[in-house]
Amino acid sequence: MTIFLFLALLLAYACGMLLPLCFPHRPHVQNVMAHGSAAVAGCLGIVLGLIGLLAPEPLVWFLPSSIPLLTFSLRLDSLSAFFVLTISLVGLAVSVFASGYVREFYGRIPVSLLGFLYNGFLLSMLLVVTADNAFFFLIVWELMSLLSYFLVVSEHEKPDVRFAGLFYLIMTHVGTAFILVTFLMFYQETGSFAFEAFRSADQSLPEGLRTLVFWTALIGFGTKAGIVPLHVWLPYAHPAAPSHVSALMSGVMIKTAIYGLLRVYFDFLGGPFPWWWGFVVLLVGTVSALLGVMYALMEHDLKSLLAFHSVENIGIILMGIGTGMVFYAYDMPHLAALGIIAGLYHTLNHAVFKALLFMGAGSLLYATHTRNMEEYGGLLRRMPWTGLFFLIGAISISALPPTNGFVSEWLVFQGLFLSLELPSLFLKLMLPIAAALLALTGALALACFVKAFGISFLALPRSSHARKALEVPVPMRVGMGFLASLCLVLGLGPAVVVPLLDRVSEPFVGISIAGRVFEMGGWTLAPVSGEFSSLSTPVLAIVLAGLTGLGWGLAYVLGGKGKTRFYKTWGCGLNVTARMEYTATGFVQPIKRVFSTIYQPTVKLETEFLEESHYFAKRRHFEFSIEPIFLKYLYHPILGFFSTLAARSRVIQGGNLSLYLAYIFVTLVFLLMVMG
Amino acid sequence: MPTLPINLGSYLVNLCSALLLLTCFAIVAQRRLMACVDLFALQSVFLAVTATLVAYLTGIHHIYLAAVLTIAIKAVILPRILKKIVRQLNVQREVSMYVNIPTGLLICGGLVILAFFITQPIVHLGFLLTQDSLAIALAIVLIGFFIMVSRLKAVTQVIGFLVIENGLFLAATAAAYGMPLIVELGIFFDVLVAGLIVGIYTHQIQEAFGSVDTSRLKALKE
Repeated sequence: MTIFLFLALLLAYACGMLLPLCFPHRPHVQNVMAHGSAAVAGCLGIVLGLIGLLAPEPLVWFLPSSIPLLTFSLRLDSLSAFFVLTISLVGLAVSVFASGYVREFYGRIPVSLLGFLYNGFLLSMLLVVTADNAFFFLIVWELMSLLSYFLVVSEHEKPDVRFAGLFYLIMTHVGTAFILVTFLMFYQETGSFAFEAFRSADQSLPEGLRTLVFWTALIGFGTKAGIVPLHVWLPYAHPAAPSHVSALMSGVMIKTAIYGLLRVYFDFLGGPFPWWWGFVVLLVGTVSALLGVMYALMEHDLKSLLAFHSVENIGIILMGIGTGMVFYAYDMPHLAALGIIAGLYHTLNHAVFKALLFMGAGSLLYATHTRNMEEYGGLLRRMPWTGLFFLIGAISISALPPTNGFVSEWLVFQGLFLSLELPSLFLKLMLPIAAALLALTGALALACFVKAFGISFLALPRSSHARKALEVPVPMRVGMGFLASLCLVLGLGPAVVVPLLDRVSEPFVGISIAGRVFEMGGWTLAPVSGEFSSLSTPVLAIVLAGLTGLGWGLAYVLGGKGKTRFYKTWGCGLNVTARMEYTATGFVQPIKRVFSTIYQPTVKLETEFLEESHYFAKRRHFEFSIEPIFLKYLYHPILGFFSTLAARSRVIQGGNLSLYLAYIFVTLVFLLMVMG
Repeated sequence: MPTLPINLGSYLVNLCSALLLLTCFAIVAQRRLMACVDLFALQSVFLAVTATLVAYLTGIHHIYLAAVLTIAIKAVILPRILKKIVRQLNVQREVSMYVNIPTGLLICGGLVILAFFITQPIVHLGFLLTQDSLAIALAIVLIGFFIMVSRLKAVTQVIGFLVIENGLFLAATAAAYGMPLIVELGIFFDVLVAGLIVGIYTHQIQEAFGSVDTSRLKALKE
């Protein structure tokens, strides 16, 4: 039964890839076919994901191939099903959005090609999370990387897009190399590329090799996920892609790396592992979360800002998983499950709200043709729907109740606070520090989205682009609206979501906690006990709504009886213009000052005075930039080293044909003499 | 079944292999391009004879086909193409070389010794038709390579490449009793195509640099 569902899913994606190619020179038909098929496939994928999550046993399909070591085997266990569900949910919304957004590209980029790559990209992600053979996994992983690369360079006539693409291509291949090494180590021990063999080998890997697998997997998958300091490609590549592709890349593609990490650490390595693994993951997560949000604050390109927030949220996910790993290492399965569930919940939530925000950014780009926030302003009046959806996404990512981001971050916090049950003093000290840093991250994220929303949507338009902006077409609004409502549903319904996620963590930690975390008939989420902490988002939502109503009511009773006066804003007698508004740069000045050690900002202020008097400035030129620390101190030295090496080794490149032949000849004779 | 006594047969195979090797030395010693092409054609004829002998001795029929193809492609078609190129290019002699002829011959002698030296352990395994043909085949491959390295003109480098191919073919027939037919056909086709491509490529070098002297390709280095 499910196999037919899966085949239908494949067929839908195949249709989306190939049908548009059959209608050359008719971009609208191509658009509808490509994104319609992708939307249908998204619906099927949601059903498939739910079936997989609820199925008691993993579903396995198998297709042998004539290539040695390779079998096209697929396995849908609860972890895979969860990721299939996430990808499909976001894929459905993004496909609907894209059918409107792609109109922008008619006549500039071949829509059939875009549709082909888009459907192929979605399909490859689904196969990555279901592949059950290392060889097959690497093929689809590479396919995913390459297809996303081609999507990133869709607008390849721009030089910065080409640079971003190249950067991404290099970094992703560095990551793939490490993943390849990871699997080769398993292969060396088990003699097979089947995941089944890796899984049964859990205890057989020697201790040293297990540690090596831990590091190579962390680096390999971490490059894709964008953990600090491997995140450098992400703020270039994600904004360079067309917005609907950015939504997919930021929303779900980087999550495939989370899938890979969970698969390798819990499923393949299994067994008890040292506590410091979890600590390393937690540390990486904390650093990524904090630095991600700090760099996001300094960005005024809306899409780059969102890309840095992906680094932040991957960090939060890894904090959840890292906490789970620490508890797992100390054999505390309940708390381990809690950490993993927190990480997974945030994975789903981040996929939803980040895709929503990228679609919002895409809508702004569609309407104003610029990504620079300083040129927006006053858009809420012109684009009320986009504004509303963007606001919901912004609230979610800032982890405010009653949205989904709040619930998952709350769970991460619970995991960190529960460190007082750990036997190790060091961890008892460290985990609360991580919690404090997560709190700082949350506050900075809130500041960042106050900036993003306020500067973009409120006050007066800052440019003619913003003044002429119009609300986006209906399909784009529908796509955003779907995810915005999902943000609220996931926020109000942890009672439904947590038991589902529990099915994912159960095979790893060995026990189910679904029955224990709820109190009061499923209305309250209480990870340990009601006395320690509990959360009920529906109640919270009602209280919030009630307080808002109360505020209004009080204002009505005590205030001016609801009489509305329309009048200009008072600006000290001057006419209010857009030039007087708070700019994005100005908004983040205080934060930049406070954290100047990290940002290392360069501020240049040049003033030209009037010739008559030095008290009157004629023109002032202000410039400010922050130091890209990782590029400067980590990547440029490495790059310099390889450039020097390459320049040195150029000596042997004589350019003479006979010389090259002589190299081969001498090598051959030498080898024959030595080996013979 | 073979009517020749197996000893005599292996002597004949050895003899033909040795003649192949001899033509290699002749090519190394020859400056005139036309003569080099002729010598290559002669070598290919010897190769065909060896193949026929092996086919007769072992009773494997498809090696006859390989022998016929050797005659057709390597002894007739390719030499024609090469001669046509030589005539078109109007280069008759190779005046300068990286290694002069006496030194070259000495190096080739050294290569033959090396080949015999390293094939010793394999010969002792005892599955070969003759004792020496594998060593000779390897020597031919090495000398072919040496020709490619030491000569400047594109045409002689092509001849070097074809000599290597002959050596490999000899190794395949004399040591391994031939390869599967489909592989042999594929190789012949490859050689033919390679010959055609190299012909065009030589012509292009001539047009671009006014010479077929490959050392001028240095100019391509930035």
